[in-house]
Amino acid sequence: MSARWRYIIQESAKGLRRNPLMTVAVILSITVSLTLLGATLLLRDQIDLATDDWVEQVEVSIFLCDGTTCPPITDEQQETLRRDLEDQPVVEEVIYESKEEAYERFSELFKDQPNMLEIVEPDILPASFRVSLVDPDEFLIIRDQFEAYPGVEDIVDQREILTQFLNFTRIVRNGALAIAVIQLAAAALLIGNTILMSAFARREQTAIMKLVGASNWYIRLPFLMEAVITGLLGALVSWGLLYGVVPRVTEGLSQEVLLMPFIGVTEVIAAGPPLLLAGFGIAAISSIVALWFFQDS
Amino acid sequence: MIKLKNVTKTYKRGADDEVVALKDVSLEVGKGEFVFVVGPSGSGKSTFMKLLTREQLPDAGEIYVAGKDLTSLRSWKIPALRREIGYVFQDFKLLPNKSVSENVAFALEVIGKGRREIQRRVPEVLELVGLEDKTGAMPHELSGGQQQRVSIARAFVNNPRILLCDEPTGNLDPSTSVGIMKLLDRINRTGATVVMATHDQHIVDSMRRRVIELENGVVVRDQSRGVYGYAG
Repeated sequence: MSARWRYIIQESAKGLRRNPLMTVAVILSITVSLTLLGATLLLRDQIDLATDDWVEQVEVSIFLCDGTTCPPITDEQQETLRRDLEDQPVVEEVIYESKEEAYERFSELFKDQPNMLEIVEPDILPASFRVSLVDPDEFLIIRDQFEAYPGVEDIVDQREILTQFLNFTRIVRNGALAIAVIQLAAAALLIGNTILMSAFARREQTAIMKLVGASNWYIRLPFLMEAVITGLLGALVSWGLLYGVVPRVTEGLSQEVLLMPFIGVTEVIAAGPPLLLAGFGIAAISSIVALWFFQDS
Repeated sequence: MIKLKNVTKTYKRGADDEVVALKDVSLEVGKGEFVFVVGPSGSGKSTFMKLLTREQLPDAGEIYVAGKDLTSLRSWKIPALRREIGYVFQDFKLLPNKSVSENVAFALEVIGKGRREIQRRVPEVLELVGLEDKTGAMPHELSGGQQQRVSIARAFVNNPRILLCDEPTGNLDPSTSVGIMKLLDRINRTGATVVMATHDQHIVDSMRRRVIELENGVVVRDQSRGVYGYAG
């Protein structure tokens, strides 16, 4: 048994060394496609993470008049508004945010941008009711009911901002996925072609093996191994690229965008096994198909 | 050992053009026999050999080799059939980057024989073919006759029950051919069935063994202790 495996490993190594440039081309092509695939996996993780966090925090902001654009809300109007909000069945929780609290939150958000803080005076920001909903889709009910209340300046669905962000991310992800699939198809063809060339270069040896009664898997395994090794190498390189790049990018982003959590090293590490599996699978399938054609011809 | 029953094989050349390679051939070769298959080019000799190794399937009829029904043999069982058959080619088909003993050992390695058996069996068979002092030589360092001996050693190293030889002396001069025939005769005496396709009149005439003559895909003569042609 060990002599057999030594033969198979030797033969696959021979195949890889026969045309080193081709081997590098195949590995690079797999790397590019799997890096894109890995990026789409990580973008999905990012979307999931952001959605979870945002959806939990989603609130409707009801800004209250402070006299700049409409007559300031009276204590009585504010009390009625709060009571009616709390009575509304789709509302889960109502929190009052005063002008001071609003400014505090604002300063916290923009603490790295001093000029923003200079522009905005503490009393410019309106007080508001921050309302969380049982079902975020019920925003329209809230708007229709409370828009006309005296002392209400504006009602904003914070989720809309999230939706815009998510739509953008999805477009990026789908685009990356489409390119990844095309690249993967190209990589598969390249692997198939390489294996065909490898099989053709050794056709005399293969013919003799067939005639002396070597089993089919024994004849094919070196070629299969050759392809799988390139597939796994490509997957490893793409994993390494993602590992080196993604955590840096998300760390940078998380310093810019404070409102949202970002994926980190953990998610990149978790993306490894699917990438290796994809590299293995694409190499195995395309070489099996190629050898099947080779044997038929 | 070999049995053909009403075997027909045609090749398609284009849409309507068909070439009949073998037409309703029935014959039997017993265990331990030595048989020449003769006939002009295109008479069906090659097709006959290819059917025996299950490289091709007949269009009609039945073929039995070493107790196996080839027409119903599952493809994954073909390797087991071929381990019962040794095959010698006209052009030797040695691997140029392997030495004599490596070429012979290769046939055992790829069917998964253990190292101990390979180390015992390879020198044995190289001695049988008279190349015990050439074990380390590369094929290009050998004469045609020596290369054919390596090829026979490779075909016989696994102790097959049948040895198929396709024009084994076709590339050799007459005196070298005699040596090869003596070797095949010796192998035949160990109990192996030998089937040899050939054009070589002198060899057939001098051996006086069974001769099956094919012409246009039909057996026109099957004669024990025969000669190449009727005229002798």
